[in-house]
Amino acid sequence: MPMLQSQRMRLVTAVKLVVLILLVLIFFLPLVSMIVTSLKTLEELFKIPPVVFPRNPQWVNYETAWTLVRFGHFLVNSIIITGFYTIPCIFGSCLAGYAFSRFRVRERNGVFMVVLSTMMIPQMVTIIPLYIMISKIGLADKQWLWILFGLQGTPFLIFLFRQYFSTIPISFEESARLDGAGRFRIFFAIMFPLVQTAVIVAGIFAFQWSWADYLQPVLFLKGEKVTLAVKLAIGYTDQKENVLHNVGMAGLLYYTLPIIIVFFSLQRRFIAGLLTGGLKG
Amino acid sequence: MAQARMGRIKTENRRSFYIFLAPWIAGFLAFQLAPIGWGLATSLTNRMAFSPTWKFIGLKNYQSVLTNPDVLYAFMITFVYAFLHTSLAILTGLVIALLLERKVPGRGVFRTILYFPYMLPLVAVGWIFKIFLDRDTGFLNEVLVRLGLIKEAMPWLQTYPLQSILALAFWQAGWSLVIFLGGLATVPNELYEVATIDGAGYGRRLLHITLPLLSPFIFFQFVASMIYAMQTFIQPYLMSPKSRRGENLFLETPPRETFFVMAQAYQEVITKHRFAYGISMLWTLFAVVLLITVIFIRLGGFVVYTEVEEKR
Repeated sequence: MPMLQSQRMRLVTAVKLVVLILLVLIFFLPLVSMIVTSLKTLEELFKIPPVVFPRNPQWVNYETAWTLVRFGHFLVNSIIITGFYTIPCIFGSCLAGYAFSRFRVRERNGVFMVVLSTMMIPQMVTIIPLYIMISKIGLADKQWLWILFGLQGTPFLIFLFRQYFSTIPISFEESARLDGAGRFRIFFAIMFPLVQTAVIVAGIFAFQWSWADYLQPVLFLKGEKVTLAVKLAIGYTDQKENVLHNVGMAGLLYYTLPIIIVFFSLQRRFIAGLLTGGLKG
Repeated sequence: MAQARMGRIKTENRRSFYIFLAPWIAGFLAFQLAPIGWGLATSLTNRMAFSPTWKFIGLKNYQSVLTNPDVLYAFMITFVYAFLHTSLAILTGLVIALLLERKVPGRGVFRTILYFPYMLPLVAVGWIFKIFLDRDTGFLNEVLVRLGLIKEAMPWLQTYPLQSILALAFWQAGWSLVIFLGGLATVPNELYEVATIDGAGYGRRLLHITLPLLSPFIFFQFVASMIYAMQTFIQPYLMSPKSRRGENLFLETPPRETFFVMAQAYQEVITKHRFAYGISMLWTLFAVVLLITVIFIRLGGFVVYTEVEEKR
């Protein structure tokens, strides 16, 4: 009997593996299509019967993608917006998460419920009126707005930081308080360095979110200041307004590259951080 | 003396609490409460972008939103889309999480790779699928024809616009995947061991242990994803089968089957400058989202497993 049991286990594992590999193939088919398309000539795109793999990979498409729309310029815009958002967002979420985990105030849980319930407010109900209000007072098209957007933090990250702070024993701070350190000294010198994992998770989320965001930049930023997301959503066209799918795919590959690099270099700590932080309490 | 000291600590605590929370509170007032209040007030007027005067017209905007068959149709397809999208993404995430539950070689690698597409920006995802599903350039046709599943290349985007956007759902599974993996980790191992000793097979363990214990996570994920999917906005424009003209993504409206509420409201406010009317559409959608959330939370009491029985 034990023989049979282990044989069955092995069979189950094998089946699981096959299914998983199939899933990976299905998941990555669109990406393969993207890369292959980026290497075709425009004629190859519409040939019948279709050309699966380009005969001569057109690396020139990657050059065109960079020069046709002044990619560098919009890349800088994206970096500015992302930096302006991400760093304040980590900071703001961390402060709020700390407040909710440490200060014993009667209304604490009530306020925390308000924070969580803002997750239920659809972004569109606030963002379109906000855009109209902000352009009425002449503040549209200002990149520093993102610093303010970031400072508020987001409910999910506030929750995450709260979870992480509540795993740190309170005695850490008490001894520092006895030594006469103030609230802010304690926070910056002792507590903040202890939640590094949460900072990484929050950083990746805020970065990914602001790098990918389309709605806010398309509303608040104009012409020269728009981000890559807004610019690339239009797609690449030539003078005759033909849409250049191949060059477009090359451009999108540039655009997604930072996300790919950040994700794969930090994924171990990122996913582990998500799994532990999201669940305690 | 002691009482005075306690009082001082309390005041100090409260002051620090609000100092640390100040950025959030300021943002909440400026970026959430103010636009919500202003938007609600505006939706009760006949304000347009460039009209110097406007007047209070009560609920007329809401009346015309709710009597416009196009808008009602948009609400219906938005709901249908959100429901199908959520179900697909959750089901995919659940299946992957269950596959990765126990010892599988390369568990970490699979987890990373299958989570990865969720990180990709929506603009890129929309374009990638537009190309992927294209009749001439798409890989999907190529694969399906080679496998003999279809005879000739299909114009998916034109024939099935809604389903094409739904295809994005399986790339969104990463979100559910991480939540469910976390949820599975909370299931005590002893339960499985006891059940196995009692002779329960995989199916029965799944049905009577795993899924009930996972149900709060599935439920949470369902509600959150519904709220999110009801606001789908850019995908219909990106994946519109109509050919695009010039530099503006919003010149051509998406086909009727995918012209979701948010996409329509954006047209009304930004392209047609009908502020008040567009905002009242947004508010109606907000009300629908809230209603759905409340209904789900009510229904959730019946389907979600809780440790405390009386709470039901």
